[in-house]
Amino acid sequence: MTATHEFHVGQRVAPFVIESVEPDRIKTVAAILQDPTPTHLDPAVTRARGMGENLQTQGALNMTWFVEAAMRFAGGADRLVSFNVRFLDNVFAGERFECTGTVTAIDAGAARAELELMATANGRPVLGGTAVIKT
Amino acid sequence: MVTREIQVGQQLEPFVIDSVDPEPMKTMAAILQDPNPIHFDTNVTRELGLGDHPVNQGPTNLTWLTEFVQRFAGGPDRLVTLKVRFLGNVLGGDRFECTGTVTAVDHDAGVAELEVGATSDGRPALGGTAVIKLAD
Amino acid sequence: MSDYGHLAGHRFPGGTYTLPPWLSWLWADACKLEPDWRTAHQGLAYLVALRGAGVSIQDIFDLMDATADSGVVFGEFQVDYHGVLRPGTTYDCEAEVVEVERKSGRRAGVFDKLTFQVKVREEGSDDMTIVCTNSWIFPRAEGE
Repeated sequence: MTATHEFHVGQRVAPFVIESVEPDRIKTVAAILQDPTPTHLDPAVTRARGMGENLQTQGALNMTWFVEAAMRFAGGADRLVSFNVRFLDNVFAGERFECTGTVTAIDAGAARAELELMATANGRPVLGGTAVIKT
Repeated sequence: MVTREIQVGQQLEPFVIDSVDPEPMKTMAAILQDPNPIHFDTNVTRELGLGDHPVNQGPTNLTWLTEFVQRFAGGPDRLVTLKVRFLGNVLGGDRFECTGTVTAVDHDAGVAELEVGATSDGRPALGGTAVIKLAD
Repeated sequence: MSDYGHLAGHRFPGGTYTLPPWLSWLWADACKLEPDWRTAHQGLAYLVALRGAGVSIQDIFDLMDATADSGVVFGEFQVDYHGVLRPGTTYDCEAEVVEVERKSGRRAGVFDKLTFQVKVREEGSDDMTIVCTNSWIFPRAEGE
């Protein structure tokens, strides 16, 4: 059980990084989700659709990394209370995925902190949102 | 692959996977909804004395043997029967090789019989027989 | 004589199974065999038969009082091909237990060999596409 954390407004959330998104992981997620979308499987389809040479990740995968960033900062899965995320743009195999953020509010009475989080792929904004964690 | 001149004793062109990749085993586990962690969790494989090498799923090995036979036969529509026993594990990193021999040819019936097998790093992995249609 | 010999003739639910193109593609890709959207690899016979039989691997284990930890392994696998599998096709499947034999081997010890067969044909067709005959080995402790 993690100890109570000391947070302060303006504190940076440690970056969560995937150096290079692997296509094999995208394919496994497609199989798990039974997702027929061919842009997660076949680069010939992403090419034909003008999306480039690389497989597109699933939103569920991007979101899992977003949640991981929040949980690590919070100090454990049991310390994440809620999150809200908007999907801004696609993420592709081979890209560098990075999720960062800031503590935007502390509610000492409720023992809660609010985070604003943002993820980029090769520097391009891909996810934006908030999370509430236990302090 | 032309099979018109097929001879008893003829060897099939081997089918080789130089190094079995453990990553697709995860995809296959998801496709098959097979919960057995020996196919993807190296903590488990280590406990079982297999080191960091996950075990390839049987259906993948079977697909390779099927590919091997149908390349020799000249296409998927030339396959008649494939009968296989599973003899041993195929591990991530292994060199997987299918070999085979023509054991009988029946020009009247238009079929040939093959003895086929696969080894993984030299260890027996699959053994069996196949029947294929001859080219017209 | 196997305690499970009475299962001979036991019919599985069977039913229909549609082979999704995405799954067919991914299967070939996972096997490193140049996937394509228009063809399904004949090695998919195993999956089509399993899904079409209307049973899970766990259902088969339950019939034989086995668990994931029982050390159950594939015995033999036979496919009789009458046609080529096609992605996006719906297949009608019938499945039944052929027999259960009690055997013992020097290496394997005492085991039950369960053989079941799945007949697969394209929906609405009289012609068979594939017939899969599978056996599984269920290790038994001596005297079990």
